[in-house]
Amino acid sequence: MTGFTTGRRALLGGLAATPFLREASAQGNQPYVLGTLFPMSGPNAEYGTAFTAGIQLAMQHIAADNMLRRPLRLQAEDTQALPQQGVIGMTKLVNVDRANYVMVGFTAVSKAVAPVGDRAKTVMVNGGAVGPDLAGLSPFFWNVIPLAHLETQALLPFLVRQRNLKRIALVYVDDPLGDAILGILRTALPAAGGELAGQFSIPRTAQQFAPVAARIRQTRPDAVYIASFGAQQSQIIKQLRDNGVSQPLVSYSAMNIDSVRATAEAEGLIFTTQVTDFAGGDAVTRRFATDFRARFNSDPGTYQVNYYNAARLFGLLAQSLERENAEVNGENLRRALLAGREFDLVGGKGRFDDQGNMSAELQINEIRGGRSVKIG
Amino acid sequence: MLFVQLLLQGLQVGAIYALTAAGFALIFGATRIFHFAHGSSFALAGYVFIFAMQAGWPWWMGGLAATLTATLFGIGVFWFVYRPIQRHEGSFFTVFVAAFGVGIVVQNLIGMTAGRGFASVDTPLSRAVEVLPDVFLAQVFWVAVGVAAILFAALTLFLTRHNAGVALRALHQNPDLLRAYGLSSTRLSLLAFALGSALAAPAAMVTAMTSGMNEAIGHQVMLISMAATIVGGVGSLRGAALAGLMLGVAESVALNFVDTQWAEAVSFLVLFAFIIFRPSGIFGIAQAR
Repeated sequence: MTGFTTGRRALLGGLAATPFLREASAQGNQPYVLGTLFPMSGPNAEYGTAFTAGIQLAMQHIAADNMLRRPLRLQAEDTQALPQQGVIGMTKLVNVDRANYVMVGFTAVSKAVAPVGDRAKTVMVNGGAVGPDLAGLSPFFWNVIPLAHLETQALLPFLVRQRNLKRIALVYVDDPLGDAILGILRTALPAAGGELAGQFSIPRTAQQFAPVAARIRQTRPDAVYIASFGAQQSQIIKQLRDNGVSQPLVSYSAMNIDSVRATAEAEGLIFTTQVTDFAGGDAVTRRFATDFRARFNSDPGTYQVNYYNAARLFGLLAQSLERENAEVNGENLRRALLAGREFDLVGGKGRFDDQGNMSAELQINEIRGGRSVKIG
Repeated sequence: MLFVQLLLQGLQVGAIYALTAAGFALIFGATRIFHFAHGSSFALAGYVFIFAMQAGWPWWMGGLAATLTATLFGIGVFWFVYRPIQRHEGSFFTVFVAAFGVGIVVQNLIGMTAGRGFASVDTPLSRAVEVLPDVFLAQVFWVAVGVAAILFAALTLFLTRHNAGVALRALHQNPDLLRAYGLSSTRLSLLAFALGSALAAPAAMVTAMTSGMNEAIGHQVMLISMAATIVGGVGSLRGAALAGLMLGVAESVALNFVDTQWAEAVSFLVLFAFIIFRPSGIFGIAQAR
């Protein structure tokens, strides 16, 4: 009787534990969660689509190369490029989805989510925002894009010395990115031999820029620097040109999107981006360019490169951790990054400093006939 | 000269605001439906016009297609969304939430079909030339101001001289009496939605030529329309039109005195001033308690 009771209890206990045993064994095959915090709706959604395309291709390549033992899952959260939406999304990614690695964009969003990721020790990688204070936000916040101070360092000497454009008027969006570029121009422009002819702050939601054009014309600048993003930057370009601002327009890498190139008034726009040589680059770069065109039927831009690199970096770091049978978490990913420092990414070797910032060469482009042409 | 330049630009923007605000006010005044999806009529009309121009259609055909789209959308939303809700005794808030939902759906549909970036019509009409020293004016200024003036004149005539127009005004003032005379409030509501939505189309076309469109533009349009309706006096069409014009001018002329950052805030300062000092608006009727 006792034996029977014990056996029955053991059987019942075993049956009750079955779901947990299954769960425990399944954990080994559960996917790594790659989270994204991009604007997928609203006036900045074009960026979200472009960023995600790079990640999707990287995931395709990681799977095709059998780089990892576990599959990858993309978990997208729509931030609308707003900090509060970003924090909500990041909290969900960290606490609900248990994201192993989160890719972010936009300066204001990046600064808002960094403390959440820092507390959870979740790696966040930025490939789209350029606010200079994104360097060193957290040991777990890395950048795979040159930040604004590096872009202006490359652009200002070109404008002042080669194009003789010394008096620059600035139209800047009222957010951390715009404020950062204003700060840089205030100091870097005089140092380069130029002068800030006027500064015009605009709200993020502003749509009418004809009155701003009138104010800009009064400052008689040699060129106008636009520090905005999304649909707004095309609106600024069109309305400045339509309303008598004929001086050269200059900007930073956010202009490297299809809708700006397709805007007729953007002809002659000068802006900086990273150097990418898709035709003559290394094998990783050529494969990226070929497969991107095959999958998306368009030429890749720098944002697709950056987020491809961000996702590929996860693949490389997680692969090295799997080889040493270490857990793939934020601390170990950071350890692997600092141990390796140099990785084969699109555009060549990606080199990271102690803060997790990748260095990259920059080039100056001009829009000619709806295409970006390298001019410096 | 900066003041003159800003005034002219303000009149152009104000004409656009006036048209959209008048459309919203006409619908709200006649039906008491808070048609938040009015911004979607604007966005749809703008994108249809852009597509038509890109496809090489003549401008009048593009304009007709845009107006037809906005009108059918307005009628469709009333018939398939608001009317079923009202039939089930849906509250004002339920209708508002439904309208908000329609706005979000349209925004995403535009994003999926037209792309999520900036879109505009490339036309020489929007290129300003120097007409006076340091005063630039584009031909589209005359288009915006002229079209707005003609449409308001036509609408005023319709509302005062035509039986249907008079009935629309009666619907706003006493719907029960209107029904007692055997008139259909549903048909008149359909007319209000058709006319109100059609008014958004020319404004959207001018916007497509000047500042361009994006998928989220409907929300911005609604904010201005609501502000103009309150400033003009709820239920007053001429009030909404005048307030729209006034907000556009104020937003632009303000840059003669304040930093560019505050242009948008000026509209809402005007709104707050009216809410505090004249809550009934310019042409509104003060209600005794």
